[in-house]
Amino acid sequence: METNGDVTVKVVPVRHVGRWIGAVVALVLVAMLVHTLFSKVPSGQYVCQTVNGLRHCHPKLQWRFYWNVVGRYFTSSEILHGLGLTLLLTAISMTVGIVLGILIAVMRLSSNRVLAMTAWSYTWFFRGTPVYAQLFFWFFLSFLFKSISFGIPFTHVAFYHLHTVSFFTPFRAALVAFGLNEGAYMSEIARSGLMAVDEGQVEAAKSLGMTRGQTLRLVILPQAMRVIIPPTGNEVISMLKTTSLAAAISAVELLGAATQISNSNYQIMPLLIVAGIWYLIVTTILSIGQFYVERHYARGALRTPPPTPIQRLRSDLRGVLSKVHTKRVPAGMSP
Amino acid sequence: MQRITRVRQVLAMASIGSLVLVSSLTAGAASTKGKYNAADAKLVPTSFKGKTLQVATDATYAPDEYIKGTTMVGFDVDLMKAISTTLGIKIVENNVIFDGIIAGIQAGKYVIGNSSFTDTKAREKQVNFVDYFQAGEGVYAKSNSTVKFTGFKSLCGLTVAVESGTVEQTDAKAAAKTCSSSKKLTIRAFATQTLANTAVLSGQASVGFVDSQIAGYIVATVPGFKLVGSAVNVAPYGVATPKTTAGEGLAVAIQAAIKTLIANGTYAAILTHWGVSSGGVTSGKITLNGAIS
Repeated sequence: METNGDVTVKVVPVRHVGRWIGAVVALVLVAMLVHTLFSKVPSGQYVCQTVNGLRHCHPKLQWRFYWNVVGRYFTSSEILHGLGLTLLLTAISMTVGIVLGILIAVMRLSSNRVLAMTAWSYTWFFRGTPVYAQLFFWFFLSFLFKSISFGIPFTHVAFYHLHTVSFFTPFRAALVAFGLNEGAYMSEIARSGLMAVDEGQVEAAKSLGMTRGQTLRLVILPQAMRVIIPPTGNEVISMLKTTSLAAAISAVELLGAATQISNSNYQIMPLLIVAGIWYLIVTTILSIGQFYVERHYARGALRTPPPTPIQRLRSDLRGVLSKVHTKRVPAGMSP
Repeated sequence: MQRITRVRQVLAMASIGSLVLVSSLTAGAASTKGKYNAADAKLVPTSFKGKTLQVATDATYAPDEYIKGTTMVGFDVDLMKAISTTLGIKIVENNVIFDGIIAGIQAGKYVIGNSSFTDTKAREKQVNFVDYFQAGEGVYAKSNSTVKFTGFKSLCGLTVAVESGTVEQTDAKAAAKTCSSSKKLTIRAFATQTLANTAVLSGQASVGFVDSQIAGYIVATVPGFKLVGSAVNVAPYGVATPKTTAGEGLAVAIQAAIKTLIANGTYAAILTHWGVSSGGVTSGKITLNGAIS
């Protein structure tokens, strides 16, 4: 009881009825999901046993989601091999994409019109055509070029010949397609980051006598990173799944490996689940990594960085404990 | 696969035309359409009567099933139409990726798989088959290829293009296990037969491996290909139905319909029309689940 002038008012916490109903509905739905995930259904086979001369039969049950089959293939060598290829494709394509992206973004912001237009055209082309089509383009490049020569342009002087068919294996064709395509998207992300840095920073760097290169490397990029990192993390996760397109040009990555197994045992659902779980595991690890990288680059802008999940858990626990503690205080003693 | 030049197209049309002419002269004007047969129609399970049955076909497999313009045509397609006319049922052909058909039948999306399925013991565990044709497996390569095919061992050291989920993929996988590590057999599996053919044409695969009459058709219609060696592993083709009571009933009805089509000359007319008579079988070979391996 507290007093407000002459009237005695009873203070009660706000009742969030809508929120509570929402939470209950969500909990029920989650419970239903978990229940169906781990439910069993009749397999169509029967188990019979004879007790005291009488034959008793009951239907044999099996996991609705074929967890036994999922378990059998989860760490099979084909799947792990496919996973390795998926990770390798993702890592190399993203590295190529990020380096290319930053280069193209810097070119795009150059005051040289030729460089700026070249960069714009690159992004226009690679962002404007489906990556699926680009994948086939590189894989079947031998229809256009039997070999590619490196030498002096418009002369017959060549230092090195690349045999197109043997160079563009399914793996390399996928790398080139994903890397170049990603470069276009990353250039837009990098450009937005570079433009987000205040112009005053450049002026300040200039007044300190820094060269353009030094300004870019020491002043602009570290600040631009804060804007660049979150969408880049998104791109990495997106790339992880985009690599599954490489199966179209017969690269046996994670999903391709799962398909090859289900082609011979016809267990299509369990193998999709196997691949799905692996994608989720890698996505989870990447998300955690993204959080810490973001936190690192937030140093320059935020006075106190956001708490890590562990810190948040600790403070939540502390909050709960202190509530329990205050409840123990006898009535009338509180201020 | 549709890379037929104008001249070849005209020639092909002319030859097909003359074949039809010849067959209609010899078989006494047997049509490729078939006609309603009340006795066979009685066999169709009640749950399928009056419904439109969903048929799954991967139409990248000329001359068995492929897309011409915007419609699906081919030997399998005509045969299925004749079967449906005989049984008095309505069907819709769905053009889908081959390696998803059996799973689609099991999931209840389709009740008939009509896509040059080789009837194998492994597949019989998943679906029912009504056997209706016979085909082997053939190897093809670019015209200037020096590859020789003298059994699976001779594929070692090569890159082979196959369609994903076919018996050729299974057989190539088994063959790869017999190759030494210095002469590995690389298998490149594609979602469609067309892509597998393109891989051979581009040089991304040294040979293609496909059902024998498909190989024959590719070589005859797409410039730049040749057959390598002769066909192996001759096995029956089957129309697939679900492994349910109704699915088994439907298989029995389809079996009766094909026997009727053989008896009235429609079966022979269709095979002749598509130039695949060499794979034709007699009424006694129209069996249920007659896989040999």
